[in-house]
Amino acid sequence: MKTLPHVLAALTAAVATALVSQTANAAVLPDYQTQSGWFTAGADAVAAKVAQVRNTAGAKNVILFVGDGMGVSTLTAARIYQGQAAGNTGEENRLSFETFPYSALAKTYSVNQQTPDSAPTMTAMITGVKTEDGMLSVSADSIRGNCLSSKGNELKTTLELAENLGKSTGIISTARLTHATPAATYAHSPERNWEADSDMTTEAINNGCHDIAYQMVMDAPGDGLEVALGGGRSYFLPNTVTDGEGSRGRRADGNDLTAKWSENFSNAAYVWNQEQFDAIDTANVDHLLGLFQGSHMQYEADRADDVGGEPSLAEMTSKAIDLLAKNDQGYFLMVEGGRIDHAHHAGNASRALQDTVALSDAVQAAMDKVDLSDTLIIVTADHSHTFTIAGYPARGNPILGLVHAPEDEAIAAAPTRAGDGMPYTTLGYANGPGAKNGARADLTAVDTTDVEFLQQAQVPMSSETHAAEDVAIYATGPGAYLFQGSVEQNVIFHVINQAAALGGTKY
Amino acid sequence: MKFSHSICALFTLLSCSTFAANDTQSLPVCPTTSHQLSHNDTFGVQYQLSGAQHGTLQLLRSQAQTAYYNPENGVAEWWNFAIADHPSFIRVFAKHQRRIDYYTGDLRTLNIKVSQAEMESFATAQLLKQLSHKGPATCDGSQVYEGDVKQMHYRVIWSDELGLPLELSITHNGQTKQWQAQKLIPANEVELTLSRWQQFSDTDYADIGDNETDPFLAQMINQGFVEHSEHAVYDSKGKPMHGEHIH
Ligand SMILES: [Zn+2]
Repeated sequence: MKTLPHVLAALTAAVATALVSQTANAAVLPDYQTQSGWFTAGADAVAAKVAQVRNTAGAKNVILFVGDGMGVSTLTAARIYQGQAAGNTGEENRLSFETFPYSALAKTYSVNQQTPDSAPTMTAMITGVKTEDGMLSVSADSIRGNCLSSKGNELKTTLELAENLGKSTGIISTARLTHATPAATYAHSPERNWEADSDMTTEAINNGCHDIAYQMVMDAPGDGLEVALGGGRSYFLPNTVTDGEGSRGRRADGNDLTAKWSENFSNAAYVWNQEQFDAIDTANVDHLLGLFQGSHMQYEADRADDVGGEPSLAEMTSKAIDLLAKNDQGYFLMVEGGRIDHAHHAGNASRALQDTVALSDAVQAAMDKVDLSDTLIIVTADHSHTFTIAGYPARGNPILGLVHAPEDEAIAAAPTRAGDGMPYTTLGYANGPGAKNGARADLTAVDTTDVEFLQQAQVPMSSETHAAEDVAIYATGPGAYLFQGSVEQNVIFHVINQAAALGGTKY
Repeated sequence: MKFSHSICALFTLLSCSTFAANDTQSLPVCPTTSHQLSHNDTFGVQYQLSGAQHGTLQLLRSQAQTAYYNPENGVAEWWNFAIADHPSFIRVFAKHQRRIDYYTGDLRTLNIKVSQAEMESFATAQLLKQLSHKGPATCDGSQVYEGDVKQMHYRVIWSDELGLPLELSITHNGQTKQWQAQKLIPANEVELTLSRWQQFSDTDYADIGDNETDPFLAQMINQGFVEHSEHAVYDSKGKPMHGEHIH
């Protein structure tokens, strides 16, 4: 009988039953099967599952990571991209959160759309209620863009519940902090585009709706957000001001909300570049606002070239946790990889994958800081994109490259050709700017791995669109086991509420 | 140096509408010495295109900003080089009173690379170096340059004072297109136009995909007001268009 010493070592008394089936298999399976690396690794994975103990304790801290537009195909491609960047074939690699023990699939449709935008999807995750496209943490009884209709339909968010319990709260995004995903955590608006007062309608202003940036600083829940790091500086500055990176403020009401931040909150600090960010000592600051770009922050691929310098998503996450963890009551932190979506809209897979890896790095930075016995970490996406991984490329074929079939003897020289006689890339989009009217271009002599390359697409559109299939949820820490199977996206709220006992409802 | 980009950009602007033929043989404007215009002043030049293609194009300059505006369809391409390595770009749709703003990162995703000198010189700064100097032209301080580049014959009357061509003719396969400076646009008119555009409702290019319910943006997304396919400022390989793509 073959034994598998490294498996046995991993097993505890609790897994005796699993061991029985393992040894039973070994008895009927040939050595070359049971000693295969695939076989032993698979057995290890099952043994680890069997040995796993559900953490049903309460979650003191919750960190919710959202990859905007990070569909399942994006995860697969980014995993391979990261693995290949490390010099490996890539497919066997795992993004940091792909090691989490629990996962589920989330259905992302909104109340009125099969394919949603980020507003109703984040609303679902953060309030437990699905709403219509374009709306932020107000129920579908509201009418998009109509302030009056949203009055009385505001939905309490996870972040607000956490503040009410005396926890610290934070939001981080590489997009504007007033953009749909971060905004849904602290703001209530029937229109996601009301980011500054100058974006609002007369009806909205007359009926007393506040713009999203204003809500973040002036209508802040509890004692205010402890951490807010991201882009969107223009939305917080008056239109008479041009900031240190040359972008003009957008506020018509004359408010400098960066100054208000420092006035409104105790031990508050405002930073707008890497140097100031690095200089922040979290021991002495209790409310940190960082706005590193007039609009969205740079793509990860371009970050090093920013005018004022920008911290990475991992650096922001790490500093935020240092600050939030000062509170004995715990914290809620939302971290968005906000530009994965934008690179996909531009049909630019390379940037989308680099931003996905940056999110993975941020999750790793969190795992390196927190105690997983009292901290629930969730990683998910709001919606997907029309991004595909196609053809039959050989194992280890560059993920951004042309498809080369494994049986091709001259694998480097001769790409697989399609019905039109042209080679094609593994990555592509169903629609978007990479499409061409008429015949496809011949990519034979093109470096498709260049960061600037736009993947080919079928349907010509100026902007690639979102897609409607499910997205993945990965979780670890107390309550993570509640993520199982296929769920509606709004279940994420309820898991957080249950695990962290936020008091949103009783279970 | 992607001088051809801006020529493509000009044709992109022109391709947005059709033009009535204009057969007046206008002479180039000689900038008067009373203007004392220099490279850094705020001014504009209106060009008339004649020959194989017709149209009007205004070049508007104010400090580090250069805009190309087609008054016939109200579409402008407006560059700001205030931070030279990080230019920003705005597409203006005057008839809709809308703008699409492109930040440096957006330009990179679309592989749009331009040089400030080319944008400010009506795409001829690099071209001049490849042509032969033929001597002075009729206007004070203007010079004639001529020569062949990539199977195209170019003739430029260059104003040193403006840093711009007063005339640019391109002959290819026996067909000639000729840009001629028709009039100078005064500073106050340029400033008024730019400040009017500044007030238009703006959307980041990165955000248009998330705003498909906006009718104007939906039209842009689906019908391609922004570059894609044949009208792209990059080609189907994601590379910037080169001179040979001028057609
Ligand atoms: Zn999107």
